[in-house]
Amino acid sequence: MNMKPDETTLALWLDDELTGAELASVEAWAATQPEQLAAREEIRHWRETVTANLAASVEPPYPDFFNNRVLQSIRERPPAASLPDKKSFSWKTWLMPAAACAGMALTFWAGMNTQAVPEYDVAGAPRAIPVDPVVYTPENGVNAEWFTSSEASATVIVLNGITAIPDTMDFSQTVYVPMDREIDSTAGGNIHQ
Amino acid sequence: MNKNRDESSKRAQEPGGSVASDATTVDPDDDFRLVALAQQGDLHAYDALVTRHRGRIFAMIRNMIHQEADAWDLSQEVFIKAWHALPRFEAKAKFSTWLYRIAHNTVYDWARKRKIESAGEFNDEIFERERIDSASFTTPSGGESPDATMANGELRVKIQIALGKLSAEHREVVLLKDVQGLSYKEIAEAMSSTLGTVMSRLFYARQKLQALLKDEYETR
Repeated sequence: MNMKPDETTLALWLDDELTGAELASVEAWAATQPEQLAAREEIRHWRETVTANLAASVEPPYPDFFNNRVLQSIRERPPAASLPDKKSFSWKTWLMPAAACAGMALTFWAGMNTQAVPEYDVAGAPRAIPVDPVVYTPENGVNAEWFTSSEASATVIVLNGITAIPDTMDFSQTVYVPMDREIDSTAGGNIHQ
Repeated sequence: MNKNRDESSKRAQEPGGSVASDATTVDPDDDFRLVALAQQGDLHAYDALVTRHRGRIFAMIRNMIHQEADAWDLSQEVFIKAWHALPRFEAKAKFSTWLYRIAHNTVYDWARKRKIESAGEFNDEIFERERIDSASFTTPSGGESPDATMANGELRVKIQIALGKLSAEHREVVLLKDVQGLSYKEIAEAMSSTLGTVMSRLFYARQKLQALLKDEYETR
């Protein structure tokens, strides 16, 4: 039964992981496959080289301290009891989202049914909407009026009582423009004192 | 049962007891016995498990990240995580394989955090460090002549540098297979991967290592 093994079996044979009848079968096939025998030898040689140079087990520095710290941390930290059991079924898993949805629907319904419908008899005219008390104006004595027009798709807020901006005001002075030397403060050599 | 538990605990506490400190000589049945005790909250039994496996976990992580201090911390983290996950350990796999899996996740989480903290600045250096501190890794084994020690030390460094040039996945599969001696199946479990992927990674990793260590191979 000198049949070529499949890739997985061949890889296992190359790494000496086969045993019993399976090993015997592949060995029989490999006896006529010098390149496979050479490949296995090469892997064996590599393993010997690596194991001779890299230790599989190295005691960590201060091993007793290592253990003590592990145990101390275990004692200090509570066990992972808070981890939920994924398989457990709880009414909360379905009832809580359902309750949240019901609450949202109830709130929406209440909002729709309690909202006062504005009564205006001037059809088409811009409507003056009384300014809400929560709208704050920048200064005392300044009134705000809010006009909206659905036809123009526009909203205008008029502030009455603000001091007029003088024509002489230079707006560029209201903008902060950094000086050259402020931009690169690390270039100490170029700073003239 | 309690008597058995006491005896195992006693053994675990003995510094030179029959429970070996190195996993190369440990009996998996001893592991399962200690795990069963630890699952009941026996810290002495868990202490013994840490002692038995700390060497391999530390060596594995140190070879992965090439930083001794971080490897020390991460190895501890592995055992702390393992303790908290112990109730879920079902003994379907070896305890050591399960620990390698936790170590794998711990190292990758650490690398991910480092990547985020450095915003990718040192991305390549987290795993792919080419400069190996030869002093900390080339502890010579006893009985070697000075010349042999030097030659082996050089080869050791060359192997570590070559491993450092592999991707993290390729390096890990080489370390688990050729250094730690795990089977393909165990590696697949430890890396949450398929057997085919492990085989493919190991094949390409060895090819690359062979190319990187070409001079060493040709002089033999």
